[in-house]
Amino acid sequence: MTGELITIAFNALIWSMATFLIASGLTLVFGILHVLNFSHGGFFMIGAYVAYTVLEQFGATVPLWAYLMAAIVAAAAMGTAGAAVDQVVFRRLKNFEGVYVLIATYALLLVCDGFVKLVWGLNYHSVSPPESLLGVLFAGGAILPHFSIFVVLAGLLTFLVLEAVLNHTSVGRTLQAIAADPWMAQVLGINVSSVYRWTMIVGFALAGLAGGLLVANQSLSPDLAGIFILQAFGVVIVGGMGSIRGAFIAAILLGFVEAISATYLPSYPGVLFFATIAAVLILRPEGLLGRATT
Amino acid sequence: MDSRVRDVRITTEEDSMTHLKRRTVIGGLGASALTAPFLTRTAWAQSDEPIKIGVVTSLSGPQEFIGSFVLNGCKIAVNQINAQGGVMGRELVLEVRDDRANPADATAAARELIGLGAHLQIGTISSAVALAMGPLMSQEGGVVITCGAGSEKINHENYNKHVFRPGDGPYMRMRAQAQLMAERQPEVTSWTGIIPDHEYGRTTWAVFVDGLLEFYPDIAGVQPEIIDPIIVPYGAGDYRSFITQAARSSAKGIYNSTYGGDSVTLFQQAKPYRLFEDRILMDSANEFIVAGALGTQTPPHWTGIHWYHETNKGNEMSDQLYADYVEMTGDTTPMGWLAEAHAGIYAYAKAIEKAGSTETDAVISGLKGLVWQTVTGERTMRAEDNQAIKDVELIYIEPKPDTEKGYAVTDYVKVEGTSVIEPPSPGQAVELRSPT
Repeated sequence: MTGELITIAFNALIWSMATFLIASGLTLVFGILHVLNFSHGGFFMIGAYVAYTVLEQFGATVPLWAYLMAAIVAAAAMGTAGAAVDQVVFRRLKNFEGVYVLIATYALLLVCDGFVKLVWGLNYHSVSPPESLLGVLFAGGAILPHFSIFVVLAGLLTFLVLEAVLNHTSVGRTLQAIAADPWMAQVLGINVSSVYRWTMIVGFALAGLAGGLLVANQSLSPDLAGIFILQAFGVVIVGGMGSIRGAFIAAILLGFVEAISATYLPSYPGVLFFATIAAVLILRPEGLLGRATT
Repeated sequence: MDSRVRDVRITTEEDSMTHLKRRTVIGGLGASALTAPFLTRTAWAQSDEPIKIGVVTSLSGPQEFIGSFVLNGCKIAVNQINAQGGVMGRELVLEVRDDRANPADATAAARELIGLGAHLQIGTISSAVALAMGPLMSQEGGVVITCGAGSEKINHENYNKHVFRPGDGPYMRMRAQAQLMAERQPEVTSWTGIIPDHEYGRTTWAVFVDGLLEFYPDIAGVQPEIIDPIIVPYGAGDYRSFITQAARSSAKGIYNSTYGGDSVTLFQQAKPYRLFEDRILMDSANEFIVAGALGTQTPPHWTGIHWYHETNKGNEMSDQLYADYVEMTGDTTPMGWLAEAHAGIYAYAKAIEKAGSTETDAVISGLKGLVWQTVTGERTMRAEDNQAIKDVELIYIEPKPDTEKGYAVTDYVKVEGTSVIEPPSPGQAVELRSPT
């Protein structure tokens, strides 16, 4: 019984942190720019492919430092892509209605899909976890793979860094001010345009970082863009659109729902996940930590 | 590149627009839109013009990878047939459209092609598309040959005389897999499954169980223990909760019918849990998809395959298909869907010759009961339900770190199709055994 509980809790945490890694960039961009970026999954996918290309140079045995380096390269590449997308797409659409931006992000997703097919082809690929993370830990009858522990720690660290920056630095306070009232922030002399650009860069970099960190134990194919994105959107919606802390709490909540569902309702995968989202939306439409709009 | 391969004539949507406009003008002279396709079909049947075969397959979307093999199989077969003088002296040409694995897109494309005179069609991979094609073909007067669509409903509940399956259906494939296990692994008597949460996934498990319940008592002399399968979501990124469930199972054999990227992810994530280390893994239909992605990380497993060139070495058609494919693509590991399309085009060619006509009813009559040579040997298109009787091929893949690909096929078998195929029952569901 203890083993089963530990297993459920651990599986819940892996799901939560993997999903949070992807959802963090999504919710950050929405929180500051109010853009629901449908292409986020596409840039997550390209980040994973970039990391795969870097890791291919190391053959079958990948050292941990190389794995981390590949994730950073993926983050940098996607951050650069974010700057380009901001310049080419979002700036041109800043005076248009939100629906046009939404369509543009969907178009970007298609571009990502085509780009992956063009560069990496249709074949499935995979990456092994770093050599030092291939082992497992046994705890109370539960099996805890080292790589899974690594994913949990990576998600936790990402949350703590984002929390610290957003709530305990002047940059974070500036971001919150702009998110609340960009016009007033502009009047007060804040370079809103520059902040928007950097938010986009960080949001895209987070997608790339997630791709790089999660690339092991995932199949790489042009389908990858859609694999995590549904659950990431679920986390963003339940947490409250634009709230990093909300996304983190929602990820943990939905992670436990998923793990419990898989254990006790194995014939109905996903049912509890969607039921929980529906329940939260009915009881608290603005999400767990979202602000109600009037 | 082989000139036969280079010379294949394929027209696409854009090319067809020109013809469409011309046809529209002619149509304006008095032919009704309703009767035009039928007039065209009759005219073509009597002319020396090329015979158009419509290829409606997945060129984008979730089945694009498989669709690329289907298209190449069609191209190679058409090249080979044209190089031998065509069909009744007429050249075959392909009209290609993308179905995006979506019934709505597929039926729209199929209808358009029928309007362009390509009423003989091929390429359906998705079961949902195959089931949608039947009513359309009945209504519009076309024929479709599927290339890997797996639903058992195609030749049972939703049987339609306009739809033909030249490959192994799920009933044959999964029962052949169960038969092989009873022969090769008689000591593995407890089985569970990792089954994707969709209708086809549940069908594969139900049929495999039917086979276990028939063949283990008959061949191994024991009653197998069937343990409830683990149902996993389609297209998930994290299967660990399901893997830990499966790892707790006492089953010594696992049947997997997750597919493509889902299998790659699942197999990778299962490694630390040693899910497959002391168990036999029988995979439904991944062919080389998992092994190609995982290389040395591939767990040893049996998998179903539509065609494996080594199994059919010495069959001239098979050797030629392999050589043409490698020359065309540079890839040395073709997937079996290539052969399904190839066999389908040859079926059309033989049926047209047999019927002496390209008209729909004549071709349907030609296909029913057709016996024709393919890369896997002789096949018979059963007249009652349009299901081909063919041998089922299975391969055993093991990791091999010293090889270029990191894996190798170390065993392969053919299970005689007649020993595992169900009796024809068009319009009716198959009755399956279930554990008591």
